[in-house]
Amino acid sequence: MGGVSDVVGANFLTAQLDKLVNWARRSSLWPATFGLACCAIEMMSSTMPRHDLARFGMEAFRASPRQADLMIVAGRVSQKMAPVLRQIYDQMTEPKWVISMGACASTGGVFNNYALVQGVDQIVPVDIYVPGCPPRPEMLIDGIMLLHEKIRRGEYTAGRAS
Amino acid sequence: MAGSSVQAGRWIERARALKSEGWWPADLCGLDKLRIGRADERFGIVVQLLHHERKQRQTIHVTAEGDPPTIPSVSEVWPTANFMEREAYDMFGIVFEGHPNLTRILMPDEWEGHPLRKDYGVGKVAVEFVEQPLLQIEAPGQAPDAIESGVRVDRLGQVVEEGDAP
Amino acid sequence: MSTAVNPSELVREVEARGQGAFVESFDPADELMVINMGPVHPSTHGVLRLLLELDGERVTKCLPIIGYLHTGMEKECEDQNWRGAVTIVTRMDYLAPLFNEQAYSLAVEQLLGIEVPPRGKYIRTMLAELNRLSSHLVWFGTQGLDMGAMSAMFYGFREREMILDFYEMVTGLRMNHGYIIPGGVWEDLPSGWERPVRAIVESMPGRIDEYEQLLSSNPIFLERTSGVGVMSRSDALALGASGPIARASGCDWDLRRDMPYEAYGEVSFDVPTDTKGDVYARYRVRVAEMRESVKIIEQLLGKMPKGDFKNMDPKLTPPPRDELNRSMEAVIHHFKLVTQGYTVPTGEAYVAVESPRGELGAYVVSDGGTSPYRCHVRDPSFVNLQTLAPMVIGGLIADLVACIASVDPIMGGVDR
Repeated sequence: MGGVSDVVGANFLTAQLDKLVNWARRSSLWPATFGLACCAIEMMSSTMPRHDLARFGMEAFRASPRQADLMIVAGRVSQKMAPVLRQIYDQMTEPKWVISMGACASTGGVFNNYALVQGVDQIVPVDIYVPGCPPRPEMLIDGIMLLHEKIRRGEYTAGRAS
Repeated sequence: MAGSSVQAGRWIERARALKSEGWWPADLCGLDKLRIGRADERFGIVVQLLHHERKQRQTIHVTAEGDPPTIPSVSEVWPTANFMEREAYDMFGIVFEGHPNLTRILMPDEWEGHPLRKDYGVGKVAVEFVEQPLLQIEAPGQAPDAIESGVRVDRLGQVVEEGDAP
Repeated sequence: MSTAVNPSELVREVEARGQGAFVESFDPADELMVINMGPVHPSTHGVLRLLLELDGERVTKCLPIIGYLHTGMEKECEDQNWRGAVTIVTRMDYLAPLFNEQAYSLAVEQLLGIEVPPRGKYIRTMLAELNRLSSHLVWFGTQGLDMGAMSAMFYGFREREMILDFYEMVTGLRMNHGYIIPGGVWEDLPSGWERPVRAIVESMPGRIDEYEQLLSSNPIFLERTSGVGVMSRSDALALGASGPIARASGCDWDLRRDMPYEAYGEVSFDVPTDTKGDVYARYRVRVAEMRESVKIIEQLLGKMPKGDFKNMDPKLTPPPRDELNRSMEAVIHHFKLVTQGYTVPTGEAYVAVESPRGELGAYVVSDGGTSPYRCHVRDPSFVNLQTLAPMVIGGLIADLVACIASVDPIMGGVDR
């Protein structure tokens, strides 16, 4: 599942190729820069020497969504920002995954009011939710490792046309 | 902290006088006095001034007049008031006459309503809790307790069968 | 093709067409392009959007468009009780959360008419100076990163981890603490707190020397920052700039020294200023401020008083737990404080503190109830952002990136 099966159809030939492709995908996920608020600082901290994200091959945060395959929505999404979020998501090429980092991105967080979208899954399909306000870098890395497991199994929610 | 009131009509000349005395505007914000008993003079701005040499602060209240509530803009006197007045307009609907670019600054341009007014609700979304079957979420090394439905799932939501390696 | 370009109208027109065009317009006769920078951009320090009119690489007009992080915090505060509003206010300027809390708490204390005991004041001041240090370390990292010195980012964040560890020890959180509350602080410093603070105080001066070695005489850094983004003293005052960017332009004003609050009257420190007002001057001022913060923390470490860490007035603070077994009145007090919160007398107060970005003020209005009637935070980044447009006009786009880094805006505070 996942890998090349989605494209050419599953058969016994593609099973081993799938494993290879999924391994390649999860070992070099490149996040798109989508740090919005406080969670962005913890996301930056997770790439820094103490919680080195480079050991997962992910230190290259791509500013261009075309070159990124993971969007970590780090922070609160306001009503004004929502169309921008969707546009960046649409510009990412498949396969793509979305991690909703923090309470504000997952559900609206501490702020339940007119100004915020109550959960980024109202706009884009989300693969992994990482709770916290803000989540520690270790929690984000745990979420990323869970995503790696998800990719290993060949599942993705976000990349499906939706 | 001395507080004083200025009528909207005298605000610009008062601002010019204060500026020539050396007062520097620290803040300009809107205020809706609906629930503190002033429904007739509802909207106004509160200006916090600071004097660097005298090391003093001063607060000035200016009440908006008319409908829509209007106050002359002091962005010519103090350029720093530009963004501050736009925010008061966006949040309260106070119109600043003479402002070079009186448009919304925080809300999207096509937003209707002025959020910080007292008759504008917070906009809470009711959170619904839906009854779900109790599932035991596995973590490596965890001993499962007796759970109602007897279904064990891993952290990605896939069902874990008995005898599966964690 | 349109001739004269009015950026705001152009924004509306392009957005109405549903296009997020990179080049909004190009007029071959004028050779002026209107280009959109942000809100998703690696160098805009958050969700800042700039509409630039360019003549080749030179910026001729710059219009900042903000609001992409507007969270309705001021409205949300009106929905919380006085103690709960601290948790909202702390998320405004998220790199200096303790300053937000401090400004708000000072304003509410002024309305309540209560005093914070000396230990509470010292704890608050020490934590605030540590916060200034950690905020300037992030500034240092991002300034270096934007100039291409990626190592600066790693250095800055490595030191910051030491300070965040101490915060976690004291407040339980690395960011957005909710620790400084009206009346004092939430909990006392844990035993053994001197060791991490001493480690910070002893290692930081050497580390700051390393940073200076990396950047201060680096010819590439100097080329990119000297003479770039100059802001004159009169411009700074007129546009309401405060904090390091104003001090780098010659405005010798610092609330800690000139209108002392908390424990700042009892420590001695210098206020670094510069006269050139360019990006390099702002860099020097902030690095010098880091050294001064370390000095202040060292002095506070030496003379931390004993005693109460918050005002134990029963109307504000729940009684000690064992009282609840003995006194019915204590139970009633506890119940009311936990469910409703305390009430604050009618009135208004504005108190400002010197945050790493400038004057951070909290304007609080009470109608005698248990929640704020109006809680407005005067955020320094919101006002400082107005200085960006005059600073970058006439410069290159590369200089624009240096200028944004030197203004150090935090969009959480700008948009609230």
